[in-house]
Formats: sequence, C-alpha cells, structure tokens
Amino acid sequence: MALAKYLGRKLAWTVVVFFVALVLNFLLPRLIPGNPVDAIVGQLARGGGTGGEQLQQVHEHFMEEFGLNKPLWQQFFIYVGHVLTGDFGTSFGQYPASVNHLIGQALPWSVAIQLPAIVVGWCIGNMLGAIAAFKGGWLDRGAFVSSLFFSSVPPFALAILLLFVVAVKGGVLPVGGAYSFGLSPEWSAAFFGDAITYFWLPFWSLVLVFIGGQAVGMRSMAIYELGSDYVNYNRGLGVRDGITVRYIFRNAMLPQFTGLGLSIAALISGGLITELVFSYPGLGTLLFNAIGQNDYPVIQAITLLITLAVLFANFAVDVLTGFIDPRIRAAQSGER
Amino acid sequence: MSLRGLSPRFWISATLIIVIVLIALLGPLLVSIDPNATIGGLYDRPRCCGTMLLGTDNEGQSVLANLVYGTRTSLIVGLLAGVIATVIGLLIGLVSGYRGGWIDDLLTAVTNVGLAIPAIVVIILVSVSLPKRNIYTLALVIGLTAWFWVARAVRAQASSVRTREHIDVARLSGAGFWSILARDILPYLLSYVVMAAVLQVSGAILFESTLSLLGLGPGDATSLGTMLYWAIAWGSVRTGAWWAFVPPTLMLTLIVFSLLLLQSSLNEVFNPRLRRGRAARKKTKLSAADEEAIERSRPEVVGAAGLLETPASSGTEAR
Amino acid sequence: MGTLVDARNIRGVYYLGGKDLVAVDDVSVRIEEGEVLGLAGESGSGKTTLGSIISLIARPPLHVEQGTLEIDGKVQELGGDAKIPRTWRGAVVSMLPQGAMNSLSPTKRVRHLVYDVLRSHDRKITKDEALDRARERITTLGLPARVLDAYPHQLSGGMKQRTVTIISTLLNPRLLVADEPTSALDVTSQKILIEMLLEMLDKKIMSGVIFVTHDLPVLRTVASKIAVMYEGRIVERGPTEVMVDHPQHPYTQALMSSVLAPEPKYTRTRIEGMSSFDRKLFNAPEVIHR
Repeated sequence: MALAKYLGRKLAWTVVVFFVALVLNFLLPRLIPGNPVDAIVGQLARGGGTGGEQLQQVHEHFMEEFGLNKPLWQQFFIYVGHVLTGDFGTSFGQYPASVNHLIGQALPWSVAIQLPAIVVGWCIGNMLGAIAAFKGGWLDRGAFVSSLFFSSVPPFALAILLLFVVAVKGGVLPVGGAYSFGLSPEWSAAFFGDAITYFWLPFWSLVLVFIGGQAVGMRSMAIYELGSDYVNYNRGLGVRDGITVRYIFRNAMLPQFTGLGLSIAALISGGLITELVFSYPGLGTLLFNAIGQNDYPVIQAITLLITLAVLFANFAVDVLTGFIDPRIRAAQSGER
Repeated sequence: MSLRGLSPRFWISATLIIVIVLIALLGPLLVSIDPNATIGGLYDRPRCCGTMLLGTDNEGQSVLANLVYGTRTSLIVGLLAGVIATVIGLLIGLVSGYRGGWIDDLLTAVTNVGLAIPAIVVIILVSVSLPKRNIYTLALVIGLTAWFWVARAVRAQASSVRTREHIDVARLSGAGFWSILARDILPYLLSYVVMAAVLQVSGAILFESTLSLLGLGPGDATSLGTMLYWAIAWGSVRTGAWWAFVPPTLMLTLIVFSLLLLQSSLNEVFNPRLRRGRAARKKTKLSAADEEAIERSRPEVVGAAGLLETPASSGTEAR
Repeated sequence: MGTLVDARNIRGVYYLGGKDLVAVDDVSVRIEEGEVLGLAGESGSGKTTLGSIISLIARPPLHVEQGTLEIDGKVQELGGDAKIPRTWRGAVVSMLPQGAMNSLSPTKRVRHLVYDVLRSHDRKITKDEALDRARERITTLGLPARVLDAYPHQLSGGMKQRTVTIISTLLNPRLLVADEPTSALDVTSQKILIEMLLEMLDKKIMSGVIFVTHDLPVLRTVASKIAVMYEGRIVERGPTEVMVDHPQHPYTQALMSSVLAPEPKYTRTRIEGMSSFDRKLFNAPEVIHR
C-alpha cells in the first residue's frame, strides 16, 4: 500500500545518506597531513605527564585501534565494523577512558534538555501562533513582534543574557553545572529537586527561541489557511466554527512538521553551544573539551551521533507527515 | 520599484545594517589602538571615555577595540562565506534546472545528500583537521557547506522559467547555453537570489560564531565569536564582568536580527502587491474587521530560527 | 407555484480603505418554487456578490448596507449589524461555490465533512445515521458510494463538483445559490452536472436555484428565468426564451449578440463589441418581462 512504499523509500534514502556521512566522518579527519597518533603522542610527551614506556603503550594501542599502518580502505572497514558494533574506541585526551563511557555520561544530560525543549517549544509555539492568528487584534501584534525577536536571537546569545540577568545578577537560579557540588547523580527525589534548578535556564534559553520561530511560522500558515476556500465553504454550510478550526489546524500544521525536520540540525547545534554557556555536562561541553585536546575519537563519535539524531528526526517527521497528509503518500506512490 | 511604498521595517533594518557596517569600517580608525595591545589588567571595569569605554578583557586588552575589530572580522567572514555559498548554489541550481537530464539528476542527488547531512558536522570535522585556521579558510569552509538549499531553490525556479516562451526565442536565435542562463533566466531569479544572499550572510555569521565558541575560530584574528569564547573560558559571566560578554552578544544579536528583518522586508520590496498604500489607508477609519480582512490577504514570510542549516522559511515559501 | 424567496432592496458595498466599491446597488429579486433563475452578466457586474449576499456568507470587506430576505414567510434582515442565524446557512439557503475544487479540505475525507455538516445542524445525529443519509443521496443521484471514503485529490474534477453539489444540498435547503458551477468543467461534465441539478429540483431536494454565470449558452439549457446584471443593477429580467430571442434593454442586446453558438442563425450575425462602461446603458431603465 501507498504508505508502506513511501516509508520504505524514505528509509532507504536515510540509510544511503548515513553511509555517505560515515565516509565523510572517516575521511575528513584523516586529511590532516601526518599521522594524528604521532601528533597526539608528541603532545602528551611535551606535556611531560607521561613517561617513555607509557607513551609507547599509548602509541601502539592507537595504531592498533585505527590500523593506521594498513591501507586506507582497510581502515575504513575497520571503522565501519567498530561503528556497527557500537564501539567508538578510546579517547585521546582522557586516555584510557573509552569514548562510549564518556558519551554515555554526557548524552543523558543533553537529551534531558533538548528533547523536552523541542517538544514543548513546538507545541506551545504552534498553539501561540494559531491563537494569535484566530484572535487577531492586539494579541496578534504583540505575539508577532515578540516572537520575531525571539526567533532572530541566536540561541547562545539568549542563554548568555539569561544567565547574566537571572543567575548572576538576580541570584535566583544557579550559574553553571548540572547539580550542586558534592552531590552525585542518582535516582532520588532529592537529587532531582536539586538538578531541576540547574535545568531551568538552559531549558528556557532553548525553548524561548524555538517558540518564537514556531509561533511566527504557524501564525503565517494559519492566516493563510483562514482565507482558503474550504473555510469559506464550511461557513456557507453552517458548520460550527469549532469544527472548522480543526480543519484549519490540520492543514496549517503540515508545513510546520517539515520545518521541524529542517531545523532539527540547527536546534541541536544551538543546544550544544548553550550547554557551553552554562557549563552543562552534556555533549556540547564534551565536544568543546575534545576539540581543545584534539581528541579525534570523541569528536568523530559526537559528530556521528549528531548526524544520526538529525537523520532519525527527519525520518520520524517524514513518517508523521505521511500519516497526516494523504497527498504525500499518493504523490510518492504515483497515484493521481 | 518605487521607494515610496517601502515599509518602515525596510528602513529600520537598512539603517541598522548601515550603522553596523560603518562601525566595522570606521571603528578601527576611530578607536586607534591595536586590539592586541595590553592596556590594563584582568577584567578592568569600564571608564569613560576612550579606549577603556568597555573595560578590558581577560588579557587586559580593550574590549572596545576588540569589539570593533571583531565586528569587522565577523562581517568579513559572513560576507565572504555568504557570497561563496550563494554563487555556488546559484550556478549549480541554474545548470541543474535549465539543463535537465542526467546532469540534473546527478546534481540533485548531490544536493539532497548535502541537505540531509548536517552542515555543522562537516564544518566541525573539516575545521578540526585544518592545519591552519584563518578567516579565509573559515569562510571557504562555511561557504562550501552552505550552498545546498540555494541550489535546490534556484533549480526549482530555473526549471519553471525554462518552459517560458522567451527562452525558446533565445534558443532559436542561436544564443549559447551560458548566454541564455545569464541574460534570460537569471534576471527572473535576481530578487530571490538577493534575499537568499542576505539569509546566507546571516547564517554564515552565526556559523562563524558557533565555531569560534567551540574553539574552532580563526586563529589569528579577533571575531565576535572568539570574544565570547574567551569570555566563557575565563568565567567572565560568573564573575559578573558583563563588559566582556554583553557587547559582543548584543552586537551579534543586532547583526542577525537586522539581516533577518531586511530579508523579511525585501520580500515586500520585490512583491509590490504585498505592500499596502499606508498613506491612503490612514485617511479613512477602517473598522478593525476590515483592516483584518485586508491584512490577512497578505501572507507574511519571515526569517526564523534554523538559519544554521536551512532557512525555515524563505522566498520558496512565499505564497 | 408560489414565491419561494423574496430578496428586497439589497445594497452591498466593498469597503476598501479610501475607495468604497458599490457592487450591488439596490437590487430586488424574486424566485418562484421550482424555478431556476439565471443571473448573468460580465465580470464585475456584481452577480457573484449578489449570490454571496443571498446565500448569507457576505463578510468584510463586503458590507451589506441594507436588504431583507423573505423565505417561507420568515423575514431576515441582511443589512447593517443584522445577526444571521448560523443554522440558516446550508439548511435554508445553501451555496455551491465557485471553484468547488478547493472547497474540500485536502486532508479530510468526504465523509468527515458530511458528518460535520450534518451534526452542526443536529447535535444528536450519529455518525452512522449521517453516513447512511449521505450514501442514499449519493447513490440516488448516480454517484458511486465510494466517494464518501475518498480524499479530494482522488476524485476527478467533475466528480468533485458533483460531490460538492450533493454536500451543499444534504440538508435539503429551500434555495441553492450556484456560483459558476460549470465554468471549470469540460462540456460533458457540464451536461452531467446540469442534469443532476434539474433532477434534484425535480425530486424536491431543493425548491429553487439561482444559477450565477457569465456563460450564456449554459443558462439557456438550465434556467427558466434570466436576470441580467450590469454595474451592480439588474437591467433586464424575464423568461429565458424572451430574454434570449427578444432582448430589449440595449445592454442585454449587446450581451446576447456577443454569444457565438454553432447554430445557423449566427452564421450571418456580426458581433458588436461595447466599451467597458457605457453611461447610456447604465442609465437606461430596467426592463421587466412578465
């Protein structure tokens, strides 16, 4: 049936793109002249922290892991093999910690902020835009201008300003980190209560910007739909307004879904930068530190993760759109 | 294209941009000290007037000087990258849309893959591997990863213009491939290209500041992004040294905001039917319902969050 | 056959901020039971506006400054701030819109709309009852029942138009106002639609039709009476044959003579044109044929 064919094509496409990303992820860091392992080991040696024999061990370990002495295509297969088994290798900068471990620690924090921010921002933003479009008047004008502002502000800029105003000057919320010093993460109410105070500012920086963007877009869509023929026709048949609103919402939502897919990448990168501002121990801070230390395994793993997340989100959006808009599956499967 | 019907939005954004450009161009001349010169201690408070107007940063350098030079750097990178991306996207879109055939299929496939892979990922990977990072390599990298959506949109428009009659006339009169592209198709797309370029520049500026915040910024120059990087790395936010991070933040926000505003108002410039006769309207008292009705017949198209990858709305969605 | 609808002294103006446009200038119209009144005229004559006013869907920037509508003895004020009861729309007077192609929301199946229309007028009706009623109506008029389950993009242009016609008359309105229903159709589909309209009239699904169009040959096949509009006023009205063969108002004469029909008598006729606004035509008094 049409839906299955449509989803099948989208899935195949996603796999192809992921493969290309994999190739890029593998190839690009290897463009640097010289041997990255030598460079890292050289850095470690200069730093004076590790002695001769240890350096040798490190060097051997990484040569083994990356197979740098083997031809390029063989290295690629080693790499792909690693990725498919979920093994991202060992970190350069925090040797001998495994990349999986580092990411495993950081990932939950990032997801905890970004996922709710995206969901909440999308829902509230669209509702705000729809209400503004229907009610019109001063509500519309005020909502529009403020949404426009919030959507134009770079996410980290809002984060910085919020941090300064609310935390530093206002002292209302904590300044950085994810939980109070001295506590360690656990599944307890006390920890949760503490961590939540650290959660608010980063969360709201992301949500406000997203709400702004969604509201502006939804308002335009809703206004456009309000003037369309089927709304007029429904009115002409005496259909109750509340019922027609549902027709409008359904049609106006469609471009918002597509827009969500397009802006996921920006949202994620915005989120990572926001983490930096708040010293939040998520993937953003991890990436930042890894870049500072030229920690290629970690950097590669994070970029791959970001790509996966974006591709997955886009696929999810495609699935949803396929369910909601009957024309898409029809067009894809060649119906009229 | 008369100037009278232009909305206040256009004039506001145009003025803002001119002011910013003037700051970037003339500022360094007026501030007259080297941004790298040490003029004070760690995070000295601002004092009126002169080079200490905005205090010092973590290296004891004048924030004011850095701000002005930083604005110039950010603008240069943004402009360069934006132009590169627009030109590449334009070329590829034109050839793909007009030529059709296997070239079109190939270029479209490349474009779609490029659109699907998050640009930030590619930029990070490339920047990390570069032996030397300066503003030109940075601009090149950003430009090379940002052209995809321009190509897609231009292709759509080019392939629709291709079927118009004046193209047939040009072909019959023996005009060559490139000549037709330049003289018969491009003029129709010009308005869109201008708007796309504006969006590209603002997106590139955001990209640059994102990269700088991650520590991947230009190694030899100060940009607004690098100022923020140092401000965060040295904890200026925590110690309350607002002069170190508020000025670059505000300047960045201002630049992005005014560029987006410009793009939104350019939409009105190029689609005259979106403009209203404001002077005429003010003379009669229209009821709220009538104003609404007329207002609602013009859909708004605005810039939105999501500049880093693709503009979530742009001329392609103008109805 | 009594009077079905009596619309009196309708004046409709578009408030456009600076220049007000009088689209309908003190027009009165009467439709008898079982009658199809053709409303003819060029673009901008006001016929569509009059149609939308009578079908009760006028909204800003169109303002009905005055007018009354009398149906079945009930009088409804149309002018000024008059509140028009929602339930009159669709059940007393119904519209068949221009460009019915887009009147169906692309993301809803036909049966959703059917149910929504019926339950907006009868809170207690169940989904099954509603769909049964619709199914019966659809099959009686010659359409396949699967239309109910279709999305708009799955129906051809002619099918969509007929489906919309059925939906517009689901509530058995007294009067149906059809705005250019045949303009977007090919000749075969036009014929089928007109036959369906006449059949519905015959079955008393509705009791009268106002058929707004600029397509004069079509009116000849479907209308029993024709009223010609020019610049917001009716300039001539009467039975179809009289209007077509012996028009007396100079504008109607110009209009009728501009029609090209493949009939013998037209082979020797010249087509006279006219300028867009002719004060002489405008000021000539209205002609009413009894």
